[in-house]
Amino acid sequence: MKVAIIRFPGTNCDFDAYHVLKNVLHLPSDLIWHEEVDLRKYDGVILPGGFSYGDHLRAGIIAAHSPAMTQVKKAAEEGKPILGICNGFQILAESELLPGALLRNAGLRFVCKWVNLRVDSTSTFFTSGLKKGTLLRMPIAHGEGRYFLGESEIKNLERKGQIVFRYVDEKGNTTENSNPNGSLFNIAGVSNEKGNVVGLMPHPERASEKILSPFGSSDGLAVLGAFAKTVEVMARK
Amino acid sequence: MSQLEMLGLSLTESERAAIRRRLGREANALELSMIDVEWSEHCSYKSSKHLLKLLPTKGERVLLGPGYDAGVLDIGDGDIVTLHIESHNHPSAIDPYGGAATGVGGILRDILSLGTRPIALLDSLRFGRMDRSPNSKWLFQHVIRGIADYGNCTGVPTVGGEVDFDSSFERNCLVDVVCLGIGKKEDIVLAVAKNPGDSVVLVGGSTGRDGIHGTTFASRDLSGKDSEDRSAVQIPDPFTKKQIIEATIEAVKTGYVAGLKDLGAGGIACGVSEMAYAGNTGVDIELSNVHLRETNMQSHEIMISESQERMVFVIKKGREEAIGKIFKKYGLLYSIIGKVTDTKRMIVRQNGKVVADLPVEVLVRAEPAPRDVKKPKYIDELGKVETPEPKESLDLIMMKMLSSPNLASKRWVYQQYDHEVGARTAVKPGHAGASVLRITDEKFLATKVDGNPKHCYLDPYNGTAGILAEACRNIIAVGAEPIAMVDHLQFGNPGNPEVYWTFSESVRGFADYCNKFKLPCVGGKVSFYNEDVQTHAAIKPTPLAAVLGLIEKADYVRNAIPSEDNVILQIGETKSELGCSEYQNQIFGTVGGRVPKLDFAAEKASQRTVSEGIRIGLISSVNDCSSGGLLIAVAEMCMLSGLGSTIDIAKCPSSAKRWDEIAFSESHSRFVITTSKANSPRIAELASKNGAKCTEIGTFKGKIFDVVYANKKLASLSVEKMKHEWETAIPRLMGDAK
Amino acid sequence: MGTSNYKVECIISNKSSIRDPEGETILRDLVMRRGYENVKGIRTAKLLQLEVSAPNKESAEKLVMKMCDDLRIYNPVVSICQIRISGN
Repeated sequence: MKVAIIRFPGTNCDFDAYHVLKNVLHLPSDLIWHEEVDLRKYDGVILPGGFSYGDHLRAGIIAAHSPAMTQVKKAAEEGKPILGICNGFQILAESELLPGALLRNAGLRFVCKWVNLRVDSTSTFFTSGLKKGTLLRMPIAHGEGRYFLGESEIKNLERKGQIVFRYVDEKGNTTENSNPNGSLFNIAGVSNEKGNVVGLMPHPERASEKILSPFGSSDGLAVLGAFAKTVEVMARK
Repeated sequence: MSQLEMLGLSLTESERAAIRRRLGREANALELSMIDVEWSEHCSYKSSKHLLKLLPTKGERVLLGPGYDAGVLDIGDGDIVTLHIESHNHPSAIDPYGGAATGVGGILRDILSLGTRPIALLDSLRFGRMDRSPNSKWLFQHVIRGIADYGNCTGVPTVGGEVDFDSSFERNCLVDVVCLGIGKKEDIVLAVAKNPGDSVVLVGGSTGRDGIHGTTFASRDLSGKDSEDRSAVQIPDPFTKKQIIEATIEAVKTGYVAGLKDLGAGGIACGVSEMAYAGNTGVDIELSNVHLRETNMQSHEIMISESQERMVFVIKKGREEAIGKIFKKYGLLYSIIGKVTDTKRMIVRQNGKVVADLPVEVLVRAEPAPRDVKKPKYIDELGKVETPEPKESLDLIMMKMLSSPNLASKRWVYQQYDHEVGARTAVKPGHAGASVLRITDEKFLATKVDGNPKHCYLDPYNGTAGILAEACRNIIAVGAEPIAMVDHLQFGNPGNPEVYWTFSESVRGFADYCNKFKLPCVGGKVSFYNEDVQTHAAIKPTPLAAVLGLIEKADYVRNAIPSEDNVILQIGETKSELGCSEYQNQIFGTVGGRVPKLDFAAEKASQRTVSEGIRIGLISSVNDCSSGGLLIAVAEMCMLSGLGSTIDIAKCPSSAKRWDEIAFSESHSRFVITTSKANSPRIAELASKNGAKCTEIGTFKGKIFDVVYANKKLASLSVEKMKHEWETAIPRLMGDAK
Repeated sequence: MGTSNYKVECIISNKSSIRDPEGETILRDLVMRRGYENVKGIRTAKLLQLEVSAPNKESAEKLVMKMCDDLRIYNPVVSICQIRISGN
């Protein structure tokens, strides 16, 4: 039972994800350089955040062309759980493993702050144990996180339960003020149809320990913990 | 123009004579350019070295002090911390985005040079007044973006800092960066070339004409050769920097790296010669091996180029290939440019032919520059200025102060910085004066950078000792003990005796504090020639202190956020010291009067009380009481928690006569702390045992900020309204809020 | 004399003597890596498309150049700004 955390040049949340899996969830994992990836012996994959290739051209696009992503696609087809956080989400979107695009923030500035997320779909590997409408507090830190998708496609997404997380206020309502980057319908995270690939802009790995939370919370564990459970199940298969 | 004039050298006649004497011959053009950068103020500290010797540099945790790329502290269990401060003032004034970004890049390399991983950045920024000058706004906006883009992309969190606006920085903004790194004791690498035969390897960015004479540029005022100086612009490349960080850490772990140094000011000429000097060796460099970006580069251009993202590795003989593999993995260019020798000479070749041959000692040891001192006249004159009596209501005064950019919330700034990456930031920007970083479950570092040019302008000695005291109070307020400091001394032209007097007073201020508190100074910087391009007026003296603190138990970590029904205590005494305060500046626009003086014994008593109070578990939240005075400190705690407060300022420990002095004096040695009603008397006991003044002045509760003076109500404001004013002040100026 | 509307483009790029890390990365890590070896160089730039009302092409160009200088739309220390008429 093991998780692969893939490092591209410019990835910078790799050690944070590794730390939480290892020291908080006690889930065995390896940090793997993108040119040395062999996913056959892994039961789950994390694409951590950062600035792969300096975010040049478009966030995520150059990493999407890495040979590692061919393997990630294969693992996705095999039904292994794959989580893209922040830049990892951008890479998954640019690789077309997830629908949509992440555009420059509406405010045109990088935003680092804690936000409230609402769980809107529980049919993914990362939200399966949660109740719909659960609120989670996590930080965001990105300059290109404005989720966009064509109108008809977004309806499809909604219908199939692929909109997983939304930015909301403290009461759980999607308001303009609670939308930190101008994302369409306050979307913060989506999944593929099968629900084994999820991408989100907020950072669960930065919200998994009480000492690091301004609220003394550890809500990131809800997502990473569900991931860990799925990995255990996959490994037993 | 002669060839030498074309080189644009800054060496004086007497320095040229000294070179002739020490070499016993005329130096050639290449040699002179190399000596020119190495003897610049920026690299040689020729005007300041003898004064800096006053600062104590040793301490039980100090492994390495000044003279290295960063100070190194031992925090136990084999863990070490590196600490350094740098500025990029002149480049930021002409290209704020690139200047600020490459400033961050420079300090990351300093930390990396010791083989340690950078884990946190702080910035101390000073601009002209944004309400009066579009240029200041332009500089502010782009400096912030430059810092943000660079830090965010390299994955090093920017966890704190300060921003200050004052008209003396209108055309000479100050952009200072502090960086912390961590590593293991056994992995430390020094900037030395010790073993003849080892290879000198240049890694990272290719060498172009960037920043030619950037060093001498930083050591000269911004006037005059404007168009030429513009070639000193440097292009930031944080993506490559990130690769350099990872490659360096991986290379250091092999044990094959014998020496390491970043190339910054003065390029290869300075970097390599300093390593040879430190190792008591020589080097032999072949210029045709340097990977270049531009064609037809002259030998002196290659030697002194300040192209970004370059490091020099000294690699153990025979291990070049193993290390080269690591550079290749991270897509980095590298070239073996020379060998360490035992000649104690720096020999430079172009295609085998010797083009420069200098004793390392001549290159590295500049002639000292003696300076005259004279106390400026304005100091005594301004000292007599009286602060007028307030005519407006306290409600109005509070709202004016909270919306002044100096006191307003800096969220607009730190929200653009990724301050969370690394999963260490336990006390975040905005939640306390200092930031706290987790190292292990029970070990934390606290860090803070402070400056106060307004105070230093009138009283450089007390102003300087005061900012160090303030930085230490901030460190203590989050539950840490100060273990080391680095300083940055920013002044005008040292050839001006009045400027040099303020400089020497400032150094004395730091030295006295450090000696009395046994706080070692483990590094620092001096930046002269900070003056207005047009008027040639020097900036206000701007020494900065960055302090590092250690917290040895998670239970001790505190922030400035109180809880409902906490009682409020003031520790330390308020004096009639409104001189050069934010209150005086914002409400009356006057400058002068009695600037806060630092009483070392009172400072010690207050610090000890808070430190012990936290350790016994009596104190629940703490705010340092400084800029803006008591009421701003209490208001900040209200706005952070959303709670109201009721205080009676007549109860404050104070020798001041006027109520506005009690409210807004920036007297040192004070804290605002909170505790439970039951524990309040125990804190009073603790304070009295330590000889600190302390009284209970009120409570946090409700939603209204109430201030009473004896029986008279002075202010009653909704915290929500205050918070809105405070949080939107900077966004409003920047057009991001109404 | 009346005025017409012109489409004016202004292209802001780093001076040729100044590096362009973004162009370098796209070339090295994407274009060359994926086999487009005949591509020898890439420089990135920012393009603004403006619609300008002016008596003639020359004055339209002049107006945009003046605007770019006045408003610091580019930083002359680092970048150059090329102006061209793309249509009317």
